[in-house]
Amino acid sequence: MVVSAASKDAGRQVRLLRLARWLFLLPAVGFVVFAFVVPVVYNVVLSFERTSPATVAHLAAPFAGLSNYWVTLRDPVADSAIVRTFSFTVLSLLFQFVIGFGLALLFCVRFPLRVLARSLVLVPWLLPLLVTGVIFRFLFQLQAGAVNQVLLGLHLVHRPVGFEVDPGWAYLTVLVTNIWIGVPFFTVLLYSALQDVPAELLEAARIDGAGPWQRLVRVRLPLIRPVAEVVLVLGFVFTVKVFDVVIGLTGGGPANSTQLIATWAYNLSFQEFDYGAGAALNTVLLLIALAAAPLYIWLNRASLRGDTR
Amino acid sequence: MSAVSAAARRRLGAALAGVGALAAVAVLLFPLYAVVVASFETNSELFGASRYSFFPARFTLSNYRVVLSQQGSHVVSSLIIAAGTAALTLAIAVPAAHALARYRFAVTGLLTGSLLAAQILPSIVIANSLFLVYHRLHLLNSYPGLVIADASYAVPFAILVLRAFMLALPRDVIAAARVDGATEWQAFTRLVLPMSRPAIITIALFAFLNGWGDFIFALTMLNGNTFEPVTLSIYTYIGEFSQNWGQAMALAVFAVLPAAMLLIAAQRYIAAGLTAGSVKG
Repeated sequence: MVVSAASKDAGRQVRLLRLARWLFLLPAVGFVVFAFVVPVVYNVVLSFERTSPATVAHLAAPFAGLSNYWVTLRDPVADSAIVRTFSFTVLSLLFQFVIGFGLALLFCVRFPLRVLARSLVLVPWLLPLLVTGVIFRFLFQLQAGAVNQVLLGLHLVHRPVGFEVDPGWAYLTVLVTNIWIGVPFFTVLLYSALQDVPAELLEAARIDGAGPWQRLVRVRLPLIRPVAEVVLVLGFVFTVKVFDVVIGLTGGGPANSTQLIATWAYNLSFQEFDYGAGAALNTVLLLIALAAAPLYIWLNRASLRGDTR
Repeated sequence: MSAVSAAARRRLGAALAGVGALAAVAVLLFPLYAVVVASFETNSELFGASRYSFFPARFTLSNYRVVLSQQGSHVVSSLIIAAGTAALTLAIAVPAAHALARYRFAVTGLLTGSLLAAQILPSIVIANSLFLVYHRLHLLNSYPGLVIADASYAVPFAILVLRAFMLALPRDVIAAARVDGATEWQAFTRLVLPMSRPAIITIALFAFLNGWGDFIFALTMLNGNTFEPVTLSIYTYIGEFSQNWGQAMALAVFAVLPAAMLLIAAQRYIAAGLTAGSVKG
């Protein structure tokens, strides 16, 4: 009798322990469901519904089939926003990588103030993105903007450049701003990868007669490739969803010439109150972002398995 | 002779690299310098200048006086949101990271996989759906609603980074404590938590910065009648007073202050978080 009571007790304890383990996990599971699973599923549902300001009060609206997708994807602004998001992402990543890698190489050389300079490089990454957008809007202004004043002062231009009013220039300002934001991230990660390149290997290459360029291309680049891949995939994921910078800098203008997918989807949902159309464009954005997911998860496979040591 | 010239050449190279790096950093930081200068200038000085002046022509504090009197409540709102985001992120991520590092669950792979995918998820997708859900749940224009949405920036990153950190903790120390009679809870609170301090500080900092810097959820979920964080108020400010740049830049200085202060006070935690692959936006 005593034994069975004890084993019953032990069984209860095991169950309690298992319950306790789940209690640790429960808030996270609840949060993932509420903040990620529900919004994604609901977004897909919305994209097939005929929504209107009147349907906001209810969570459901009449079924609309694929019409949100047809209407949204035939809209020239949405079309060009999708194309622009791609060109914007590719150009951003290209320049962020080149500039970030260049800075990382410079930081590998010992010079005075190196540590200070390395920490100051982080600053652009930490600012609120919207504030960065507003700051660059100020800098690129026609009259009081520092960029025009500097260009005029150096006699590089004779009249102030209309960064805000010309579509081509406006796109360039958003691009420059986004590159500015991403450079710290590329610099820091590529720098730490370069630090991991064994000095003996570079020395051996030097002794074998490899010049600086060959050491860079044949030794350093292949060795930092895994990190470079992770940084580029992460950079892709940040950049396709750029929103705050555009809103703060140009608001998507002039004449929708700087709309990206995220900003145009916002416009459809929250300016035109067509949540279904916004959701349809969101689904497109989601698919583009998730296209990077298999690559991203594969690159992070260590954290999935849990064997980080 | 050739050894001397090689050494000299190397020193010259280092000097050139140093000059190049410092020049690049100066260019990188110039926008922020220009913001600080503009915040001390009146509007007529800003617009009157035909060339850029690296120092305020006439130093004035009037922009800050106006901003302090008008925007103080927005700074307080941002602080509440940022602190709330950090607190909620820790409350969710710390126990979850511990459980995922220490125990085996059938859902471990699924959960870590969804956390990785969640990091990829664009915030506009979450905002579009949550706006309608919040409308129904009466969570629009509320601190709890906004803090929950803002935590979506930080929670996946926090769990993944903290779990990786906890997996690398010495397992035998915890096992020894268990043998000595410590309960699981005691092992968690007295051993795992103190040992994880650096990683916990890192994720708290990033959650704070995410909450402070959030714009998209504030824009979609607040109508501005109840409270307004600094990011939203800068946006409305330049919309309404688009020509008053001196004041807008003084407000921008307030908005970037926490990031600057954290960088000075906790630089190594920030660098650690960045290297761990923090995702924002």
